Amino acid sequence: METKYIIGAIVAIIAIVGIGAVVLGGGNTHHAPNELVACVAAHGEEPEFGFDPMHGWGYHDSGTEPLIQSTILKRDKDNNFVNDLATDYKISDNYKKYTVTIRDDVNFTDGSKLTAKDVAFSYNTAKEMGEGADLSSMNEAKADGNKVVFTLNKSDSTFINKLTDVGIVPEAGYNNETYGQNPIGSGPYKLAQWDKGQQFILEKNTDYYGKEPYFEKITNLFLDPDAAFAAVKNGDVDIAEVQLAYANESVKGYHMEYFDSIDIRGISLPTEMDTGKVSEDNVTIGNNVTGDPAVREALNVGINRQSLLDGAFNGYGNVSYNGVASQLPWAFNSTFKDGNVNQAKEILSNAGWKDTNGDGIVEKNGTPAAFSVYYNSKATERQAIAVAVSEQAKEIGIDITPVGGSWDDIDPNIYSQGVVWGFGSADPFEIEHQYDSRVAHVGYDNPEGLNESAVDALIDAAMAQDLNASYSTWSQAAQQATSKYPYLWVGSVDYTYFVSDDLDISNSTHLIYPHGGDIWGNIYDWKRVNETQA
Amino acid sequence: MSDTPWYNRGLFSSLNLRQKTLLTIALTGLLLAVIFISGMMIDANLPTDFSIKMRPPSFDHIFGTDWMGRDMFIRTLKGLSLSIIIGIGASIISSIIATLLAFLASVNKYCDEFVSWLIDLFASIPHILLIMMISIALGKGAFGVIMAVAFSHWVNLTRVLRAEVLQINTSEYVSLSKRFGKGKLWIAKEHILPLVLSQIFVGTLLVFPHAIMHESSVTFLGFGLSPHEPAIGIILSESMTYLAMGAWWLAFFPGLALLIVVLLFDIIGDNLKRLFDPSQANN
Repeated sequence: METKYIIGAIVAIIAIVGIGAVVLGGGNTHHAPNELVACVAAHGEEPEFGFDPMHGWGYHDSGTEPLIQSTILKRDKDNNFVNDLATDYKISDNYKKYTVTIRDDVNFTDGSKLTAKDVAFSYNTAKEMGEGADLSSMNEAKADGNKVVFTLNKSDSTFINKLTDVGIVPEAGYNNETYGQNPIGSGPYKLAQWDKGQQFILEKNTDYYGKEPYFEKITNLFLDPDAAFAAVKNGDVDIAEVQLAYANESVKGYHMEYFDSIDIRGISLPTEMDTGKVSEDNVTIGNNVTGDPAVREALNVGINRQSLLDGAFNGYGNVSYNGVASQLPWAFNSTFKDGNVNQAKEILSNAGWKDTNGDGIVEKNGTPAAFSVYYNSKATERQAIAVAVSEQAKEIGIDITPVGGSWDDIDPNIYSQGVVWGFGSADPFEIEHQYDSRVAHVGYDNPEGLNESAVDALIDAAMAQDLNASYSTWSQAAQQATSKYPYLWVGSVDYTYFVSDDLDISNSTHLIYPHGGDIWGNIYDWKRVNETQA
Repeated sequence: MSDTPWYNRGLFSSLNLRQKTLLTIALTGLLLAVIFISGMMIDANLPTDFSIKMRPPSFDHIFGTDWMGRDMFIRTLKGLSLSIIIGIGASIISSIIATLLAFLASVNKYCDEFVSWLIDLFASIPHILLIMMISIALGKGAFGVIMAVAFSHWVNLTRVLRAEVLQINTSEYVSLSKRFGKGKLWIAKEHILPLVLSQIFVGTLLVFPHAIMHESSVTFLGFGLSPHEPAIGIILSESMTYLAMGAWWLAFFPGLALLIVVLLFDIIGDNLKRLFDPSQANN
């Protein structure tokens, strides 16, 4: 018996040494200078349904570069809208009708012409499937010659954002089950090969109408975080997105690039008391601890966000007090300072929360200030936030139990306990998702159940205003909402990449990084700087 | 290889075999008790300190620290004590099930066939698969893992006990008792149970290492516990991420500690067997 285990131990040690040797050993795989090997993808995950915009490819909290397909509009580095398929667009005065003129020189990679009908079809199908962009305000899209007319069911000045969100697929022969494997689009690249679970290979679309990218071929690997880092160490990839945990490492031949994002992590705090109410899906609503505004305020005031970021994010992030990243036009300054344990304690004791039994946790009417915070166990930064917040909260007398799990484990608790979320969109409509009482407890919308008629009214007002003018109204809506402390916002995460020294990813032209954003937005500007090295 | 194991040589050679066996049992038992009790006294939510994250082993933190600055020695200890709890639960439940089934098998031919069929059924499903299925069915969590490990480890012990009971049942004094008109229950209680008791006891202890190994396997695969909780399997799977950064201590020490605990239980089990079964001790 013992010998068996001892042999086992020896095998284990040899395995560890072996892995170490493989990891530390060099070995550069050579490829042509105009070929790119990457290990980056939104959330580092493979799209489940392939490269089908109808299933959400090219969309995360706001539009990202779908590479294979074109979109009506794109964003530039300053977050302005620029034409992609559109040559011109008109918005009616009441923001209920959007008319887009589609350029007529665009072909799909199968040779057929891209028409306004394909655009209308893509939007109608995307709305029907509801897996990507939120097209709930759209009634229908209709082709009219070389124009597409979007009619909305309410005034929505944010709808222009949605014109960046949906990649256009050909109407002829579209099948939502097979398209993802053999996508036909009109973007800068076409799919050459997809080895599920391993990689996809893109080849340049020679017919592309826009700026021609430098790289002929892109191979993108799907690797686990540790494997991605090992690939960097081996010199197998030109660029790899890595977890924040690796961000302070240095690898020869590579440098670290990091980009501020608008992708913010925060913990939702149920604003209602638990009165036995359940949502449509029979999920319990409300929490008797966080339902007290004093608890939510105390947490917001008492937690030290900067020390949280320094630890949990390795310093790669920016503090956020209100969930709106500072780059956004509707950003605003916080009304409070954080890290103030004494003030937090005072807020609690003024509201009747006192430590009567000397266990360090405050109570009110016999209820201890205790609740759980759920986090997705795959995301280490969320785990670190949950654990670190729980620790800091103990100092102000609030007992938070972190609980990790898959979203299946989290879902039954999203309306009654704290949950670590990631949010961040370049579209102000996100505020509606976060705070509007009319979407409360629907899926992941307004999970904290905030019910403020003033917020709802401001959202309605903003949507009926010109987009640029509406930003201040959106800002007011967010300020009104955050004054009730529905979330404990923590900060935005930087997107960190190891980039090979011979690759220029044109740092000055990067697009804004939304939640789940990827690096492909400025692929047109990437190039190899010293070809002899490759 | 010498007949006497390493722990029976050298320093303790002046003691006789029985004394040495007892001493070994006492020492290993004490060590396990220390691990278990100190682990129990640690709060599962270990303090994090990001200022000292990813430190290699030093005198302050002899197992190093992890990515949240938690002391790996304390984390390992807590993980081991969790493993031991799961081991205890699994062993006790397993041996109760095994004893009941072994006696059930001795009732009549049909019962025996039923028990044999049950053994074959459970033995034919891979352990780890069975554990995962039970753990998911019982709603994951620590409870699910304990129950799953408990309900999958009775098979071997049942097989041994059943054979033993069958053998005793055919012995002369049992048939004599039967002719004297003693009931089956009386025979089971007075004749069979005292004889198989030592088997049950040793069997219980020998389930321990298996249970602990399987517990760490399922937590390694991500079943049951949250990733911030200190289970050995979780610690090991987390360490994989950081091995590429050269943080070998995250895997090495917890792995070694797990191995040592498993070995300790094995030593106790083997020595107890020697103690209870002198015929084997002379081998």
